[in-house]
Amino acid sequence: MDHTIICRCEEVTLEDINNTAEKYGCSARELKLRTRAGMGYCGGRTCRPAVDAVVQEATGEEPGNNLPLKVQPPVRPTSLATLGGQHQS
Amino acid sequence: MNQNRIIDHPVLGHLENKTPVTFTFDGKTYEGYEGDTVASALLANGIRQLRVHEESGSTRGIYCNIGHCFECRMTIDQTPGVRACLTELTPEMVVESGKVQPTPFSQPEDMPQTYADFTEKHTDNKEGDPNA
Ligand code: FES
Repeated sequence: MDHTIICRCEEVTLEDINNTAEKYGCSARELKLRTRAGMGYCGGRTCRPAVDAVVQEATGEEPGNNLPLKVQPPVRPTSLATLGGQHQS
Repeated sequence: MNQNRIIDHPVLGHLENKTPVTFTFDGKTYEGYEGDTVASALLANGIRQLRVHEESGSTRGIYCNIGHCFECRMTIDQTPGVRACLTELTPEMVVESGKVQPTPFSQPEDMPQTYADFTEKHTDNKEGDPNA
């Protein structure tokens, strides 16, 4: 169960997150920076609720939109070539 | 190639008169149907592993299948990072799986951790050496 992967992009397990939260007693944001959970290719759109839930359990921090794991643009991963108008996708 | 296809679906009905489309995946030729996504065509051919994790090499396949998670990203017609679950199959499409990427900085113990470490490592360097 602990080897369940929470963040698939950066391959962070529930165990990693729990251990980090326990060791550093950290906020969701610090947890993210230490483990990279939610910083991968998908932009944290897949694992964010799970990371929030684990943090809440470990540290009692309520998930919020203020600073911790706030959603930041771009809403979707996109290539620089697309932004530069080189191809449509 | 149809061993994994649902030919008779209780809601969607019977699958019929589909035009076959050929494509290659990692150099081998496979057949899918017109209207397939790359992911569904590969699944129908029994291929569930679409890529490996870029660093660890552990296997990855379809996860959400709705374009949300980017777990199914592949190199399609030379464009890397294309989602197989959203990309419609076209004839002679060239599909390549995601591979392990080089990790030049994966031995952090070799790297100086502090500026003092760094200067110690480079004490022998001559002045003007770009690494000094
Ligand atoms: S499987 Fe999630 S984006 Fe394709």
